[in-house]
Amino acid sequence: MMGRWLSQIGLVIRLEMRKTFFSRRGIWVYLLALAPVLIFLGHSLSEINNRKERQALNAAHPVSTAALRSIERGSTIEEVVEKVGEPFAKNGFRRRDFIVDIYEYTDGENVFGFGFRNNRLENINERDRDTIAKDSLVFAGVFQFFFLRLAIFFGCVGVFTNLFRGEMLDKSLHFYLLTPIRREILTIGKYLAGLIATVVIFCTSTFLQLAALSLHFTGSEISEYLTGPGWGHVASYLGVTAAACLGYGSIFLIAGLLFKNPIIPAATVLVWEGMNNFLPAALKKVSVIFYLQSLSPVVAPPDANMPPLQKLLLTAAEPVAPVWAVLGLLTLTVVVVAIAARKARKLEINYSTD
Amino acid sequence: MAVYKRTYAAYEGSLTPTWSRFLILPRYSFARLWQSRFLVMFFMACFFYPLGCIGYIYLANNLSVLSSFGIPAPLGNVLKVQPSLFLYFCWVQAAFTYLLTAFIGPSLVSPDLVNGAMPLYFCRPFSRTEYIAGKMSVLVFLLSMVTWVPGLILFTIQASLAGWEWTKANLWIAGSLFIGLMVWILMLSLLALALSAWVKWKIAAGGLLLGVFFAGAGFGTALNSVMRTTYGSLLNLTEVMFTIWSKLFRWPSDTGISVEASWICVGVVCAICLWLLIRRVRAFEVVK
Repeated sequence: MMGRWLSQIGLVIRLEMRKTFFSRRGIWVYLLALAPVLIFLGHSLSEINNRKERQALNAAHPVSTAALRSIERGSTIEEVVEKVGEPFAKNGFRRRDFIVDIYEYTDGENVFGFGFRNNRLENINERDRDTIAKDSLVFAGVFQFFFLRLAIFFGCVGVFTNLFRGEMLDKSLHFYLLTPIRREILTIGKYLAGLIATVVIFCTSTFLQLAALSLHFTGSEISEYLTGPGWGHVASYLGVTAAACLGYGSIFLIAGLLFKNPIIPAATVLVWEGMNNFLPAALKKVSVIFYLQSLSPVVAPPDANMPPLQKLLLTAAEPVAPVWAVLGLLTLTVVVVAIAARKARKLEINYSTD
Repeated sequence: MAVYKRTYAAYEGSLTPTWSRFLILPRYSFARLWQSRFLVMFFMACFFYPLGCIGYIYLANNLSVLSSFGIPAPLGNVLKVQPSLFLYFCWVQAAFTYLLTAFIGPSLVSPDLVNGAMPLYFCRPFSRTEYIAGKMSVLVFLLSMVTWVPGLILFTIQASLAGWEWTKANLWIAGSLFIGLMVWILMLSLLALALSAWVKWKIAAGGLLLGVFFAGAGFGTALNSVMRTTYGSLLNLTEVMFTIWSKLFRWPSDTGISVEASWICVGVVCAICLWLLIRRVRAFEVVK
């Protein structure tokens, strides 16, 4: 019996795969998944370009990092020029009672800006080139605030609500219902098909994002990172992506079965997940994003442009252990898919009302 | 009369004037929309905030009422009617109109396309412009009822309580309310109609409207943080509108984008939506 059920699940998955992966309706899911890849690719290309520019400037105005770091506040322009030579860029402005001069130097990697006021060095602004540590924080922010909360969320809304509600709107669900398979098998098959599709699409996107982000680092930097925490981070990000598809997928599968218009529950879940950072610790745990954040390898810093009032409302909760987070998500998924299967058992369709 | 005698005869009744033909569409749309109890309830809920604002304006102009409740004067002095009150009014009501549009917008054009009704419209003396104007007027009317109409009522109440001097000095607020909210309504209506025309599923069109605003905002923020720019905020239509409103209400804006860029962004969004609509709303459709 089990063997037959498994082969039936396999058949449903095969049928659904074609619809999920190759339908014109699903193109936007690919676009949503690839959007952050484009951002990171653009960032890497601009960093490569900047580095080339800085190296060319350094060749024209050679100066060492040690010499630039040895300059102290209070020095005059003449002293600085004597020590490190002419800058690659000079800017400045004159007011009635003071003159400001800005001299810019580069050691080929970082840019140093020296701000003089009335011929005395007042400000030293060092703009370091991007490091893996800095970029991993940026990645964590984009991953947690855009990719998990919006890209995967909307991707799952599109794929999983389409599994039942889409077929009802297409007036094609009765073909499935007339086949001699149990409704539970149909539900599990459809859910697994949606899960495979979203996991493949979004995990590929996560991997491509990381690859695009690492493009502007040298081989030695990347291998050093990978031998350290790197592979662990990559595996964690891929795991969190898959867990997000698992959790959100189950919620939107049942939303497609229970609601005639699944957008209303989707909007409600979106708002709930969005305000998770502001919820008290007990309520935070009633969401998918809390467990996903607990599993994330790097804690994303809050948005720097957040209004002060919102910053005041931010609440912190101790993240749960990864084992409990995974168990929590799996339990949620099993329970929700079981309820969906039960609902599908009593499913009756009347196309005229849909 | 024998059936064979029933031949074609031209309509001889009175014709609807050309200018008002587009109003036929909202007449039927409204009749269908008001059948939804959820919509009626939500529409009523849209007036809670304006009612709260009326209470605030009344209290701000009648501080003696506060003192009669034993509230000390310093708290009473905090209550002032400033342009920011109207700016936040725009902000809150815009959120309601967004939800209202997500509910109504998708069902305006897509059913006509799905059911092949376009030839039935355009075989009559009814142009594409009239069709779009008719469908848009449904949204424009409903959204106006919850935005600039109550906004101007608030302004009138404040003007009547504060006197002629205040009104003369702050007449620009009324203009800002009308222009700011009309621009928002036009952009939202065009966006909803374009999505409704291109995505034939009502549900998917509603979801896409949700996605355009939320995913657009998220993508813009991601772009800003990765590329260290502020141009990503132009993808966040709510921030774009807030920048415009801040300028109109002479309030400092911290969105990081210029007012000119915001106006251009709104113009581009409206132009793209209009182009998409015109491409889709045709008397025929090639079915592959």
